[in-house]
Amino acid sequence: MIRPKQSGTQALSENVKVSPTLVFFLIHSMQVGIGILGFERYIVKDAGYDAWVSILIGGVIMHILLWMIYHILEDSDGDLVSVHNDIFGKFLGGLFSIIFSFYYLLLTLTVIRTFVEVVQVWIFPRLNVWVFTFLFLLLAYYFAAGGFRIVTGMCLFSVILGLPILALKFYPIQYAHLENLFPVIDHTLIEILAATKTVTLSYLGIELLLIYYPFIKKPVSSKKWAHHGVFFTTLLYLVTALVSFIYYSEKGIQSVIWPTISLWKIVELPFVERFEYVGIALWVYVILPNICLALWAASRIPRRVFHFRQRWVLILYFIILYIASGLLKDREMIDTLNDWTGKIGFYVLLYIPILFIIQKAMKKARKRHA
Amino acid sequence: MLKWWKNKKRFPKDPQVQQNDSIHSLIETLKQSKDFTSDPLTGPTDCIVSYIKTIIEPKFLHKSILPVLKSQQLKDLEEIKDHVPVNNIKITDDLEEIRIRIMQGDIMIRMKETDDRALLIPATTVETRKVSIPEVEFSVVGPKEAFVESLDTNINLLRKRLTLPQLTIREVMIGKLTKTRVAVISIEGIANKENLNTVLQRLNAIEYDQIIDSSFLTQMMSDNSNSPFPQFLDTERPDRVTEVLVEGKIAIIVDGSPHALTCPTTIVEFFSASDDYFLPWHLASAFRLIRLFAVIFSVLSTSLYVAVLTHHQEMIPEDMMATIVSSRADIPFPPIMEVLVLELTIELLREAGARLPAKVGQTIGIVGGIVIGTAAVEAGLTSNVLLIITALAALASFTTPVYQIGNTIRLIRFPFLLSAQLWGLVGISMCMAFFIGHLIRLQSIGRPFFAPLYPLRFRDLKDAFIRLPFSLQSKRPMQTRADDSTRFNPNRVQEKRDIDD
Repeated sequence: MIRPKQSGTQALSENVKVSPTLVFFLIHSMQVGIGILGFERYIVKDAGYDAWVSILIGGVIMHILLWMIYHILEDSDGDLVSVHNDIFGKFLGGLFSIIFSFYYLLLTLTVIRTFVEVVQVWIFPRLNVWVFTFLFLLLAYYFAAGGFRIVTGMCLFSVILGLPILALKFYPIQYAHLENLFPVIDHTLIEILAATKTVTLSYLGIELLLIYYPFIKKPVSSKKWAHHGVFFTTLLYLVTALVSFIYYSEKGIQSVIWPTISLWKIVELPFVERFEYVGIALWVYVILPNICLALWAASRIPRRVFHFRQRWVLILYFIILYIASGLLKDREMIDTLNDWTGKIGFYVLLYIPILFIIQKAMKKARKRHA
Repeated sequence: MLKWWKNKKRFPKDPQVQQNDSIHSLIETLKQSKDFTSDPLTGPTDCIVSYIKTIIEPKFLHKSILPVLKSQQLKDLEEIKDHVPVNNIKITDDLEEIRIRIMQGDIMIRMKETDDRALLIPATTVETRKVSIPEVEFSVVGPKEAFVESLDTNINLLRKRLTLPQLTIREVMIGKLTKTRVAVISIEGIANKENLNTVLQRLNAIEYDQIIDSSFLTQMMSDNSNSPFPQFLDTERPDRVTEVLVEGKIAIIVDGSPHALTCPTTIVEFFSASDDYFLPWHLASAFRLIRLFAVIFSVLSTSLYVAVLTHHQEMIPEDMMATIVSSRADIPFPPIMEVLVLELTIELLREAGARLPAKVGQTIGIVGGIVIGTAAVEAGLTSNVLLIITALAALASFTTPVYQIGNTIRLIRFPFLLSAQLWGLVGISMCMAFFIGHLIRLQSIGRPFFAPLYPLRFRDLKDAFIRLPFSLQSKRPMQTRADDSTRFNPNRVQEKRDIDD
């Protein structure tokens, strides 16, 4: 049975599209977010200080997944919604797409609530969460309502403004204990793979490509940039983890919730102390694209499936996010939220190869029947 | 609701001044003014000469027209037209044209009082200021001519710099009452047609009764007129206009305004001065970076002060703590009040200085700066440290070469102050993120305003924060989407010579 392809994506005018180079920033800024502030602690649990191998393996897996995503999208020449409609039909496909929409919404919620927690813990213990989340979401709404080009712009500035923070790694290196890393690879493969599973959660974000693919000018030439983006993320995680490893002892790192933020504390500059305040303030730029892009993608799906007005969906999601993040009160709830998002994200990543195989199989079957 | 509805209805659909429906009534209307003359001529030619005394050149009337009419008998308008030694004479019975031209300073000649046909001889004289040196955008080196209030003089200043047949000047009349002449200037073959069409379209869509200055157009034609950022660059320097015309941009000059508008523009253009092109590239780049730093400092310094002293006292290093504590020890206000008081004082001084005549203005600056500042510190109302910061911030905001953006910088400081008071550094970050988002969204006649930063254009970055040597600027900026994007052939320039050749 051959269904007509879902149109709608073809109608995008040239001036809402972005150039392929910017896919680098889209991919990279979506992957890096709140997780990088504290992911070291989680990966060390399984693989100890050999976890850097897991980061590399995770990076390779991401490259493979990215390759699959591009294959899926190229074959359908649309976005996730048209792929789903092609494979599962309008009803079931629509349902799956809506699940993705909720997943992106969950992603947004996790990022914003975790960031608010960081602000609460490190800077303002008595922060009024309701007011702060409201203004922060309003900011995200302003970007997302501006359309994809604006969101992409924020991704670009996020990466550029985030780069100087990377230079701060220099300070902990001064107090490095290189011997922390030795002996190299004394963990079993199982342990390393278990850490790999944990680390994939920090790599979440490439699946957004499924939604914004039609917004890329000359999408084929964007492949290179997307892979560069993933590679850069891998490198960044590797450096971050290694710096933490050589600074903290393996036992010590377990007791620090946010190793990266704690590392900012040792930065010494003649005119400023307690550098983590600056770091967290700058982190606003790092997580804003996370929130904006995910929010934009989440609200884009109902528009494609039900032909709702995206603005209304965005406002609805705004309200849901606002109430949900206000209701999440303490550290445990936020930890559970992060846990759940990680698990669901893992299944979403697992779903990509499945989708890939189904699509390829169907394509072959159709060819035979055609 | 009902009342509003009624109010809306009461306005006529197209509010126009009562139009005259015949030449006779036009003359009746004009006769109410003392300076209008409409008298039958005595002598061999029997005709009626009408004109407005105050805007025609009397010498011209007496030397070139009256002698012709008085020396021989001319029977009709065609004959007069053949004899008067002036170009651009027109015979018409179009009332609209007669009205416009007579108001602009034409001399009208009719054979009989009841005639509808009239001969129009241009004889305008317009009082204008002499071309003088630029006062707003002064530069130490380089040309020192500035636009004046006359459109023709201004075009003359451009034409003499760009002796190209392709320099095209289109004219539109805007303003129901003022009928202001607006010239749209571009170089055919370089300027992008789409840009030109956008500009002309927007000009024609303007519905207003008066256009007094080019800044009216800036507000009316803007893509987002609610933005504090000007989306047209206004300049009083003909050399600068020439420069951007060659880059493929479009200039708009309004009669009666000494400022030209250029578009499409970008945020970085507001920080580039003409001086940048008169100095060697490394010096120019260094000064540009200083200017950029000054702007960032001006916007952020006081809000950082508020953020650190209100929320993050721990951030102050030990050595600096003593200085700040001792200077703030006697101050009864929280930092935000202290800053607001000082900022408002400086804004007051600025406004006062801008309104007063130049000589008095200087005194005010000195009185305000020294006397009030010192007194405020001695009285214990503000701290020394803050006084330095605020004064430097004010000074830094004057470094912008374009006056308009200086106003914007003045204004956007206040949202930053408030957000700093609210959530310290995180608040400042959020405020900054908002402005970045706003700038990304802005457009100047449909072209991105935040270019070359977003969309990232490396070619345009050669002349943005730094200015690379002319030899590297072989292409026109992408921003303008110039029809002909090449300035020169770089291969010919970069032919390398060997040693001792």
